[in-house]
Amino acid sequence: MVQRTLVEAALVAAVSAGVALAVNTLRPNGLPLLARTPYEVLVPCPEPGGEVTPVAPDDPAVGSSHTFRIDARTPAEALAGPRLPGAVHVPFDWLDPIPDARLAELARAIAASRATRVVVYGDGGHPDSGEHLGREISGRGIKNVSFVRGGAPALQREESR
Amino acid sequence: MTAARVSAWLAVPARWYLGVLFVGAAWHKIAVPHAFAVDVATYDILPLSLVNLTAITLPWIEVAAGLMLLAGVRTRAAALLVAGMMLVFIGALAIALGRGLDMSCGCFASQGAGEDPISWLTVMRDLGWLALSMLVLVGDRGQVGIDRWLERRRQRA
Repeated sequence: MVQRTLVEAALVAAVSAGVALAVNTLRPNGLPLLARTPYEVLVPCPEPGGEVTPVAPDDPAVGSSHTFRIDARTPAEALAGPRLPGAVHVPFDWLDPIPDARLAELARAIAASRATRVVVYGDGGHPDSGEHLGREISGRGIKNVSFVRGGAPALQREESR
Repeated sequence: MTAARVSAWLAVPARWYLGVLFVGAAWHKIAVPHAFAVDVATYDILPLSLVNLTAITLPWIEVAAGLMLLAGVRTRAAALLVAGMMLVFIGALAIALGRGLDMSCGCFASQGAGEDPISWLTVMRDLGWLALSMLVLVGDRGQVGIDRWLERRRQRA
């Protein structure tokens, strides 16, 4: 019984593969049997992501004097929109991590500010650059990091109320 | 009712569920083979020379196994194929998760990692499907389906 099942399964697989190859040969959008050039696979590299907590744009912590604020938007986005007072601009790069020297500089600035919390805001997109920058710096040793839910657009809406 | 009869009857809905699942899963892969080839390549497990061959043949084996489960034709062989494929998928998922890849499963219609990211929950889901295929493999007695119908016709003749 077991042997018969194995033989039948092998036969089904072989016949299906044969049909698949025949259909692939006949169809206009068939694949070449052997790929000649590697596929361009876009998978984000594993980053040392840390814990971040979301905060609402109207959370008192965002504007608190005990908060160190970081603007994660691109230079163009930061120029186009308003920036929170005192926010340090650290544009988030989706491909390259923050250089060690820049991170060390940021850590020194946070320590010097005596802030007890770091709040990052980004473009508020999906995915949100603020959340990702927050995860990156949190994963690389900066503690108590939050990101503004909805990013700069949410902050702007909150401000215009 | 004996345990064997219970598992035999439980195997029938399990068979139909897996059949619909596998035919449904293969549909998009056959329609858009290039997208599935990218999904296979994204796992970065197979050498480049085997990526297209896998992307071309695997969905047809899924369809064949799924249709056999639905129609009740050689259900044990079909369940064995499904179990084998589930083991391969679980292994590939575990390797990808171990590497920390943030990617789409590629199990159904090709989606971005943001819509259908792999996680250990995906592995748990596949383990559930593996368990169902084992139930069919071990418990199925061919209660409903073409094989049973042909057998009855032979007995009457």
